[in-house]
Amino acid sequence: MSPGAFPDVAWAGLAPELVMVLGAVVLLLLDVQVKPGVKVLWRSASAIMVIALALGIWQWIVTEPGGELAFGGMLILDPAAAFARLVVLVVSILAISAGRSLFVQLGNRAAEGLALVLLASAGFVLMAASQNLVMMFLGLEMGSISLYILAGITGDGVRSDEAALKYLLLGAVASAVFIYGVALVFAGTGSLGLVAIGGFLAQYLVLSPAVLLIGIGLITVGLCFKVAAAPFHVWAPDVYQGAPAGIVGYMAAVAKVGGFAALARVLLSGFGTFRADWALVVAAIAALSMMVGAVMAIISTDIRRLLAYSGVAHAGFILTGLASGAPGSPSVWFYLAVYTVQLVAAFSVISAVGGAASSGSALSDYRGLYRRSPFLAIALSVSLLGMAGLPLTTGFVAKLGVFLQAWQHGLQWLVVVAVLASAMAIYLYLRVIVTMYMHSPTTDDPVGSDRPTFWALGFATAVTVVLGVFPQPLLKLVESAIYL
Amino acid sequence: MLTLLVLTPLLGAVVISLVPARRRELQLPLGIALSAAPLGVAGAVFVSFEKGEGSFQMVEKMVWWEPWGISWHLGVDGISLGLVALTTLLFPLSLAASDAITHRRKAFVMAMLVLETGLIGTFLALDLVLFFVFFEVILVPMYLIIGIWGGERRVYAAVKFFIYTAVGSALLLAAIIALAVMHASQSVEGALSFDYLALLDLEISSTAQMWLFGAFALAFAIKVPLFPFHTWLPDAHVEAPTAGSVLLAGVLLKLGTYGLLRFNLTLFPEATVSLVPVLAVLAVVGIIYGAVVAIVQPDLKKLVAYSSVSHLGFVVLGIFALTSAGLQGAVIQNVNHGLTTGALFLLVGMLYDRRHTKKIADFGGLASRVPMMAGFFLFMAFASIGLPGLNGFVGEFLVLVGSFPSLPAYAVVAAFGVVLAAIYMLWAYQRVFTGPLTGMANRKLVDLSPKETAILSPLAALVLLLGLYPGILLDRTAPSVEAILDRIEQTTDYQVPSPGRLEDVFASGSGDGEG
Repeated sequence: MSPGAFPDVAWAGLAPELVMVLGAVVLLLLDVQVKPGVKVLWRSASAIMVIALALGIWQWIVTEPGGELAFGGMLILDPAAAFARLVVLVVSILAISAGRSLFVQLGNRAAEGLALVLLASAGFVLMAASQNLVMMFLGLEMGSISLYILAGITGDGVRSDEAALKYLLLGAVASAVFIYGVALVFAGTGSLGLVAIGGFLAQYLVLSPAVLLIGIGLITVGLCFKVAAAPFHVWAPDVYQGAPAGIVGYMAAVAKVGGFAALARVLLSGFGTFRADWALVVAAIAALSMMVGAVMAIISTDIRRLLAYSGVAHAGFILTGLASGAPGSPSVWFYLAVYTVQLVAAFSVISAVGGAASSGSALSDYRGLYRRSPFLAIALSVSLLGMAGLPLTTGFVAKLGVFLQAWQHGLQWLVVVAVLASAMAIYLYLRVIVTMYMHSPTTDDPVGSDRPTFWALGFATAVTVVLGVFPQPLLKLVESAIYL
Repeated sequence: MLTLLVLTPLLGAVVISLVPARRRELQLPLGIALSAAPLGVAGAVFVSFEKGEGSFQMVEKMVWWEPWGISWHLGVDGISLGLVALTTLLFPLSLAASDAITHRRKAFVMAMLVLETGLIGTFLALDLVLFFVFFEVILVPMYLIIGIWGGERRVYAAVKFFIYTAVGSALLLAAIIALAVMHASQSVEGALSFDYLALLDLEISSTAQMWLFGAFALAFAIKVPLFPFHTWLPDAHVEAPTAGSVLLAGVLLKLGTYGLLRFNLTLFPEATVSLVPVLAVLAVVGIIYGAVVAIVQPDLKKLVAYSSVSHLGFVVLGIFALTSAGLQGAVIQNVNHGLTTGALFLLVGMLYDRRHTKKIADFGGLASRVPMMAGFFLFMAFASIGLPGLNGFVGEFLVLVGSFPSLPAYAVVAAFGVVLAAIYMLWAYQRVFTGPLTGMANRKLVDLSPKETAILSPLAALVLLLGLYPGILLDRTAPSVEAILDRIEQTTDYQVPSPGRLEDVFASGSGDGEG
């Protein structure tokens, strides 16, 4: 490629992202020029997402097993990227559907909110598809900055502001740590492309790898911040608690998909040869996350903090699969796909119960929810049981996959920690279910849910149960298709 | 046929869910009728079961989660046959005894039917993941049954029940994974497998056997419950509604003993042989402890609950006696305990429905008011104590006879458990039913209705049948039990001490207790 020449862009391969980004621009322009109603904006955003999903499915089908490099080697369009994209899109569609009331409440800022959702989704998909560390950083920032704004988008209430500011400051620190790590890796290997780094490390023996190891460490830490793994999780409970209910589930879910996809790429395809060095560190972070998450969630009295800490524990479970260093880490992809759906479903219920723009949701508000709205109670129970890993939900299959993979790759101790942590975690999900079914409500007012929320929750619940009983299709998909 | 047996109750739950909520009067009768369907299927399984066969019968196998070698694999042998029959029998009976449940009745019937599917599935599963799935899924309906339709401290009891069992099964899952990975490293194709029959061929080192045995045994010991893991049991039993207590005692506890017998003995024979003293001590402590605590209980339901700790101690002792008679005794005692304790819980429930108290001190001299009830209670108490001619005798006698050759000291101590059982059961009977009639409320008691008599009669008939002709069950269990002992003798240096095997007994010509 001669300098200045336009790089080779795989336009078709990037079509979903292009649709999302251009869609965001169109939404903003429409808002300025035509000032359509919120309903119209919401419908257009949903339509854009569905078009992107259709293109994403098409791309999934045509993607070659080895993938192809795009944008002059900045991006790699392989099955892993295509899969991460599908997960992000499904999660986004669910979140936009269930979050309609939030956008209605935003009023004249609805277009901004919807555009930010589209941009964040595109950013995290690009992050998952990066083959170059700088591109990864760009994707990360594109997604994160959109999320910082979304966290404070209601603009009212100290909680929401606190959440947005905390998220911004700690997120910025994490980005800085990440990019410093990238610089050190560049210093150590002379390259920013993951394939080139992997090739370099396979070919040459690095005699004094200190700089490189610090670089790998900093990149890992930066990404662990993003996915809220302990001990880099302290921001998560405050952000989950303070940000508007209608969007928190989405924020947490897409950040996790992007973060873990990037982590898998960096560790497995970039620094696979250094597995002996990073596996123990990742395993330690995993063990700590599972324990800290479970314990802290048990003592939480706010359901959102509870879910935030449970998210920390789930980050630990996913890292357990990653630490095994299995090629492609299929269990990690399966876990991400099913957990994010459960997460969005749980927050959709919270948004329906507490109000889409609300901050904070005391567990006591859920007393007797079963009597006020059986549908919401069942939907929340199924997603919580899925997170608990009860058999016949996708959560069990996901956990079993992660444990099997870790055990096969010599991390038996980590699996024992993980099963104990998941036994502990059962208690915390049970606490919420007990509150919903076995305590009498403080008020008898029925809780309604609008039609899009109903469909989104119905879909998430059905997926959690049906794929929990017959996970075969999804399992085969991830096991056979994804290599890194 | 076995798939049908597992899925009929689930289908029943779906049918119930379609009944409109306002047709309340339909829900319970329909539930009883639907739970009678699996009883019919189980009857067919019992009849077509081949007597002389020690291996699994009516095996069905289908690929389920292919990438991990998990299959829908069901089969029945002598060890599970009796338990499956017991399960299908207790469900219609306990549903019929659930008139008192008026609150959210539809959900109750559905929970019961889902529970039935889970229990039958656990006894029939021949794939370890399938087993684990059923084993865990049972927790949810049982948890709801205790937590929604239970007594005053129901939420506490339900959560305690769930957490105890969930912790136990956590390590079980890790051990199951370990076995599957071991299979992958030992098999030619390197494929994972959770198939019980395939895992039997594994070569497992002695240390690994110890660890895995420990993980399996912990999960099952909590279920049994073996001393000192029993503290969830009194709470759960006392707070559960009658149907819940009947099924907890009658079937759920058997998951523990069944698991020990099915998995620990065959998958980890070396560890079994070397850990016999540990398990036997816990069993004997449980026998004596459970009985002694039962004696001092002021609450009738709690007394029956603690008696379960004692009775299941006998079952565990029989299992780890590692003799034909001991194992046979354990298998039949599993069924016996389900029948008698199930009936006792039903009786306590009927008493509670009338008087709304379970305190022994509140009763006195009831026999003159409710002779039928007193008669059934005494009959079941005698069966529970082990009066010759009733089923309890067969089980406990076989366990004691079976443990004498291999564990004489333990057998002697355990025999005191029988004496203690007589004390707590008869003393309770005496305080509740004999003597002068006390209290105004007790004077107004009504005797068993025809329906209640109809619920108790089949149990009483089976108690008598198994007491007089235990061969109906023992003939079917014998080959499976011998197969387990053969396996232990082949894979370890252990030799069952004479006269511990069936052939020893036949050779000496004294067939005592062999039915």
